[in-house]
Amino acid sequence: MKKDFKTWFASLPAVPGVIASGVRQPNGKWGGFSDEKNFPVEKIESLLKQFADLHEPLAAAELPARWTTWVFEYGQLRFVPRPDQWLLLLVVSPETEAAQSLDRLSEIFLAFPVK
Amino acid sequence: MDADRDYLAAAGDAFVWLSENAWQIHTATEVAQALAAVETAKIQLAVLDVKPAGIGIAELIRRLRQPQLKIVVMAGTVTEEMRAASLAAGADLVLEKPVSPEGLKAVFQNFCELLGWAVPSPNLETLRNVGITDLIQMECQAGNSSVLEIFREHSLGRIYIEQGQIIHAVCGELAGETAFQKLLGIAGGTFELRDFELPPERTLNRTWEYLLAEVGRQRELSDLRGHTGGMVSGDAVSTEPAGSAAELLICAGTGEALYQWQCADAAARLKLLQNIAHRAEALILEIQLGKLDRLEIQLPDGRAVLQPRADRLIFARITAPVAK
Repeated sequence: MKKDFKTWFASLPAVPGVIASGVRQPNGKWGGFSDEKNFPVEKIESLLKQFADLHEPLAAAELPARWTTWVFEYGQLRFVPRPDQWLLLLVVSPETEAAQSLDRLSEIFLAFPVK
Repeated sequence: MDADRDYLAAAGDAFVWLSENAWQIHTATEVAQALAAVETAKIQLAVLDVKPAGIGIAELIRRLRQPQLKIVVMAGTVTEEMRAASLAAGADLVLEKPVSPEGLKAVFQNFCELLGWAVPSPNLETLRNVGITDLIQMECQAGNSSVLEIFREHSLGRIYIEQGQIIHAVCGELAGETAFQKLLGIAGGTFELRDFELPPERTLNRTWEYLLAEVGRQRELSDLRGHTGGMVSGDAVSTEPAGSAAELLICAGTGEALYQWQCADAAARLKLLQNIAHRAEALILEIQLGKLDRLEIQLPDGRAVLQPRADRLIFARITAPVAK
């Protein structure tokens, strides 16, 4: 997954409307990008840590999430968990190309080969 | 009722405005007019000047008194003697006449509380819907018989209530529950309560509690469908057609379940909503993207939407439409 994924992940900031993006690996390592002063990369790490465990209680409540979207007034947070414990975070502005593309980007992330 | 025509006109206009056109005001400058209005129209609240011409206030209250009528007496300055006499005669409230816009709003709020009606919010549609549903609830709880006619320029339909039970609804060519739902979903309409008359047919036999709860459920579902399927304005979180409702739970902010439908474990859903609300509070401070509107969960067979608002906790699950 690594090379193709790195290339794809690096291309995400080019999508108009992406505020920040981050990914957490199964071993806890993480990487991120942010284009906004108000959204430093440390925040991405914090969010990835906080939400890495969100999908377990959802699954326990018979809500096996393919992804979750937190819709705020001025932006959306999309968390996409993979069965192999990779976790993607996208922060996008509303009514932008990025917001329109969230489902497609999530599907691409889920479809990357495991190895 | 007040002898001062200018005051009557100004106060009437103000209450119509404050109620967002939901209130219908009848005015009277003389006792005979007031008595006639209460006899002929379904008046729910009478507001009286403390010094009606030619008759004492206590006598006027006694003549007006009806089981469903609330009576408020207003005076420039309220004395203890005046208050005691009015209350003893059967008035529900004695208030000072407001002299400022703020005072008028406070009086309006007192009236709403007296009637057990929600104080209108700035949302017109909500106000009108709340007004109609509250009125139906009051009529049913009181065991009344009446006909509620709904207008928007012309008459749109009627709801027949007999001895506290909703027995018939008609809206154009629609009748029964479909008509009832449609009438209560009309935005921008006004309504009028009329004396009961026998309907041409009886199309409703469910309890009024069920019918009103169903209206609330449909409204919530409609709101949530806007978020979970179809054309969400601009943000395009969802691009698929709306599916079918599979589960719904609506709780008060305190956690009390107000409505549940096909919810196998409401306690677990509530716990999840509270968990999400807790996380949302932390998120709002951390990321500064404004208030949380909702959490959407994409499921293998549909979507779930959680709205942890301060006054309402809502959980809805909608299954994706089956591909043809």
